[in-house]
Parts: sequence; C-alpha cells; structure tokens
Amino acid sequence: MSSVAAPVAAPVKAPVVTLDRISKSYESKVAVQDLSLQIEPGTMFGLLGPNGSGKTSTIRMMIGITMPDSGSVNLFGKPYDRASLTRVGYLPEERGLYKKMKVMEQLIFMGELHGLDPAVAACRAQEWSERMQITEAVQKKTEELSKGMQQKIQFIATLMHDPDLIVMDEPFSGLDPVNASLLQDTLIELKKSGKAILFSTHRMDQVEKMCDAICLIHRGHAVLSGGMREVKSRHERDRVVINFDGDSSFLQHPAVKSFKDYGGQAEIQLHPHADAQALLHAAAASATIYRFELMEPSLEEIFIRTVGEKIDA
Amino acid sequence: MRSIWLIARREYLEQIRGKAFRVTTILIPVVFGVVMAVAILPSKYWGTGKHIAVAAQDPALAMRVRDQLVADKEAKITVDVVAPATAVDRQKLHDEMDSKQIDGFVWIDAPASGKEQVTYVSRSAGDLTTEDRLQSDVNRALVEQRLVDRGNPSSAVASLTGNVDITTMLYRDGKEVPSSVLSTLFLGYGMAFLLTFSLVMYGMNVGRSVIQEKTSRIFEVMLSTVKSSDMLAGKLIGIGAVGLTQILIWIALGAILLSSALVTSWMAVMAKPQIPVVEIILLCIYFVLGYALYSAFFAGLAATCDTEQELQQYAPLAAVPVWLSFGMFMYILSNPNSIWSVLVSMFPPTAPITMAFRFTAQFPPAWQIALSLALMVLGIYIVLWLSSRLYRVGILMYGKRATLPEMIRWLRYS
Repeated sequence: MSSVAAPVAAPVKAPVVTLDRISKSYESKVAVQDLSLQIEPGTMFGLLGPNGSGKTSTIRMMIGITMPDSGSVNLFGKPYDRASLTRVGYLPEERGLYKKMKVMEQLIFMGELHGLDPAVAACRAQEWSERMQITEAVQKKTEELSKGMQQKIQFIATLMHDPDLIVMDEPFSGLDPVNASLLQDTLIELKKSGKAILFSTHRMDQVEKMCDAICLIHRGHAVLSGGMREVKSRHERDRVVINFDGDSSFLQHPAVKSFKDYGGQAEIQLHPHADAQALLHAAAASATIYRFELMEPSLEEIFIRTVGEKIDA
Repeated sequence: MRSIWLIARREYLEQIRGKAFRVTTILIPVVFGVVMAVAILPSKYWGTGKHIAVAAQDPALAMRVRDQLVADKEAKITVDVVAPATAVDRQKLHDEMDSKQIDGFVWIDAPASGKEQVTYVSRSAGDLTTEDRLQSDVNRALVEQRLVDRGNPSSAVASLTGNVDITTMLYRDGKEVPSSVLSTLFLGYGMAFLLTFSLVMYGMNVGRSVIQEKTSRIFEVMLSTVKSSDMLAGKLIGIGAVGLTQILIWIALGAILLSSALVTSWMAVMAKPQIPVVEIILLCIYFVLGYALYSAFFAGLAATCDTEQELQQYAPLAAVPVWLSFGMFMYILSNPNSIWSVLVSMFPPTAPITMAFRFTAQFPPAWQIALSLALMVLGIYIVLWLSSRLYRVGILMYGKRATLPEMIRWLRYS
C-alpha cells in the first residue's frame, strides 16, 4: 500500500499582540472600553488618537503595568505572563534615565533586567551606540548629556535586547529631524526583519506613511481600525488640488462643495459622490490645467469625519 | 529574584560611590562628637569663675564657708568675707552688685538660739550649679561650725566631715566590671544617636530615591520589565545595605578609637564603655528591622508625593517616635525594667532606640528582646503591605500629592 503524504501547511504566525475587549476604569473615569486589536509580526501598527483618549492606558495593560478590569491580553500567541516581557521593548512617553549613572552602565543594567548576560549587554550596547552615533557619550553620566542624546540612549535601552515587539509611545516627540529620520530608518529595518512595532501618537501625520495597520481611539473606544489601505479606501477621495492658469469660474461647478483659491492653485472639497471627472472637464474648458489631483483623506481628516471632533494636538 | 538583586546592586553602588555617602560617613561622627563636646565641656565650666561675698555676723562661720567654697578647685570661685555684717553692709553689697563687682552674696543670719537662715542674693536667676555648690558647701561649713561650737577640735571635725568617693561597678555575666554613670550616658546616647541618624536618614533616602525616580519618569521603563514589588524590595535592600556598611565603618572606627592611646588617657577619668559582641549584633538587627520599618513607611509616602518638598512635610511623622524615645532617655537609664521602659521598647517605631538605651543600662531579659523583635517583624509586615499598595499605584500618578481619601482608595485597588 502506498500512502499519500498530506500537504504540509505553511506555518501560521500567531499575532504578536491580541487585545480582546479590554476595559479599564479609574474611579468614575472610563479610560478604555471594550477595545480589541491585533498586531501581526513584521508590521507597524499605529495606535492613534488625541491626548487622553486611552492610548497609554491600553499600552500599560498590554504589557502588564496595569491589569484590565475585563477582557484578555495575549502576547506572542499566549495569555499574558511576565516572562514574555523579555521579548518586549517599551519606550514610554514619560521617558526617564538614572541621571547619576554612566551611559554604558545604564545600558548594561537595562539589558540585564531584560535577561541579557552582562557581557552580551555590554557588547550590544557598544554596537547600538555606534549605530546611533553616540559612542563619545557612553562613558559620560546621563545628566551631562543633551536631551536629544538622552533620547537616543533610551531608544537603545528599548531595542538592545532584540525584542520581538517594540512599543513606542510618542517616539518622535522632542527629536530633531536628523535624529527622527535616523530612528525612522532603524525602525523600518527592524520591521523588515520581522519585528512588530506599535506606535502610539496623537501626531497622526508623523506615522501615516509608516504604518501598515492602525487603530484610532477616541474616549477609550476604538472608532476605526484595520489595515491602513483598507481604512483609507473606506473613505472617498473627495478632495481635489488643482494648479491652473486662466479663468477660475470652474470653482462654481455643482460638484464643488467648498474651495480655497490661492490664485493659480485651489483646494476643493467635493460634494459626496460628486463626479470629479466632470469637474476636470469643466476646469479644462476654462483654464490651462497643470495638475489635477484627487487626494485621499488624511488620517486626521478621517478621524474628524468619524468622531466629528477636532484633535486637540 | 534576579531583578531584585540587580536593582539592589544598582542602588547600593550608586549610593556608595556618591559624594553624600563619603560626606555623611565622616560628618555624622564629627557632628556627634561636636554635639557631645558642646554638651559636656561647657557643663564643666558652668557656674565657675564667680565672684561672691559671704556675709555673716560670726566671722569664724563666714571664714569657714569661704574655705569650703575656695576648696572646690573646679569652681574657681573668688570669695570676699564681710563679717561681722550689718544692715549697712547689705546695702553696700547691693551697690557692689549694681556696679558688677560681685555676682552675688550669701547672707547668713545666725541667731544665738534657733536655726541659721541663709539667703543667696544673685544677679542671675538660673545658675543651678552655683546654687548646688552653695547648698552643699554652706551646709557643711555650718555642720563643722556647730561641731566646733560644741567643743570638738578642728582636726577631728575635718576627719568627721570628710568626703568619700564612690566607685561604680556594673554587675554583668557574674562579674563586676568598672562602670560610671557618665560612660553609661555617653554610650547609650551615642548608640541611640547613631541609630536614629541612620534610621531616619536612610528611611528618608529611600523616600528621596522614590521621588527622584518618579520625577525622572524612570518608573514606567522599569515597570515594563520588573514588578513594582521587586522594585520596592530591591530599593529597600540596596539602600539598607548602604546603611549597614556605614554603621559597620563607624563601629570599626569606634573600636580603633577606643583602643587608641589618646582616648585611653582622655577616658581615664571615667570607665571605658563595655560593649559586648551580642549587643553589637542585636544593635545591627535592630538597625535592619528599624530601617525596614522606616524606609517602607517613607517609600509608601514618597510614592504619593511629587516633590521632595512634599515628602519633607511628612518627616515630622517619623520624628515623633524619635522624640518620644529620646524624651524617655533618662527615665529608661534610671528605670530600665519599669513597665513604661518595657512598653516603649516593645512598640515597633520606638523599639530600636529605646532598646539601645536599655542595653546600656541593664541587659533586658531574653523574652523581652524576642517579643520586641517579633513585634517589629509584624509591624514591618503591616507597613510593607500598606506601602507596597500605595507604591504600586502612586509611582504612576503624576501631577499632585495624593489626598488621604485617594490613598485609601489606592489601598483597595487589586
């Protein structure tokens, strides 16, 4: 008898994080209500929302700093347990370092807390210092360093134990453009190597380009979540930027809901389901068109449309 | 356990390497020495160098009082004699006091029949030492005079009224060892002083360390890898080890100092203090337990504060048991086994200091030491339980000091 080999199924990677209907209240204030989300390996996930919307509370529950009142937290495919925290790197919004400690000692200490051997921690700290261009600072005390330099040290402390889940709360705040770009490149590399990265920020424009998936939070509730393209595709392209030369009478076209005319360039908001092609024809008939771009809404606009409120930046 | 060890090691090394450790290791014994010197040295000169007059109708009595007063070499007193004194002389003495020629005068009325009346008129009201000296010297002069008046020869009178010195011995472990009230006072006060300083200082150090971590916002980073209870335990162990190191340095320095020739000659006047090894070990145990109690208390409070200034406002809470202990210092030394002495040495916040007093006065029964240690462990357990709950919630609360109702709510959080 011959046996037929069963087809081998491709290994299914478990989500790195699964939050299932978690809630947390402090006294009478509801911080998070029935929030669910899932973060896959090798993705950048944006946890977005205004200040005070419940992002930090969600992260704290995710990594066990606080416990949810209800709901469940799964890390690396298993119910939450402290042992899995050695695979997590967390950069909180409220950053802190021991001011009197030397940078290298501090990094080794943090590495050891994450389960690294001191010699390995020292080696990794050195490598990361070179990568983040702070080798001259490693023998100095933290209090002697600039704020930007201290930020870089915190990034190293977050990443040096090679975590599979990297959680960054407002990672770019306080960074100059050069260092922000350095961090951005580093994170993109890490994502490509299969790490899951969670961004939490109220500056949606900063992470819009980088994230593969998002969850928009408002007053503790998830108001919008899913893959970035999917979320955006759910919202109509109803904004037009047009560069033209000539008569601007096309701005009175019935498809136009509102517009801003800068003379030679106009930003137009279309009526729902309006025909953008008809507007293009009308514009081309009265003026020379250099650019006609049907813009997709920004995350911030989507958020405002969804909750009907502005973000308090 | 590994996290606790790592955190304790970090705390220990940071504090030991710090300037504050070096400064306090040297400064505290120096401050203690200065405090003792300020307390002891002026007392040797209290009431000395006075210029007084002795006025009596009987010149022999007046001379006898004068002789007694000037015989006291330590007093360095100058004595004028006015005898036989009249009402006019009294007015003259007032004038001399007005012109500050004399500090005061002793007026002795000695009627032929009846008891002598002695008055001391002085320009200062609070000179207890001079009053004490006059009390004994005038009385002795009067006794001698009465003995002479009754026909006793002067030489016999001197031998009859001569002083004897009392040598104090301490009976301990079946042996008599030299002791003195002064050395007991010195030792008891010294041990309690160092213990108090260390307990309160290191308790506050733990509080300050919590505040610093809270203001530097490092807690959130730490809490993503270690439990808050491990952080608290590591901190208490690390800073406690620093305190213990400092106390051992002081004990070693003290031992070297006590065996040095300089101190031997200086202390020749009083018996050298005897500190049995068992007392040193017990003092170290009381330090560790007292430290755990005070530091757990301060750690919990510090977690509810946002600044060191706010924490300072709680410091008097720790000072109350210290004041209470020192307030009972003389009482415990005189009555080491009275019910009050036993009670305060059983009460955990006052036990370390009051037990140090009792050790120097009379070694307490073993069951009392065991009970006091057991009560301390129980006290630590309760304070640690409360503090760890306040700590766990408080370290993540920024912005303002927690009110009492808020703290009570935090205790209820699971």
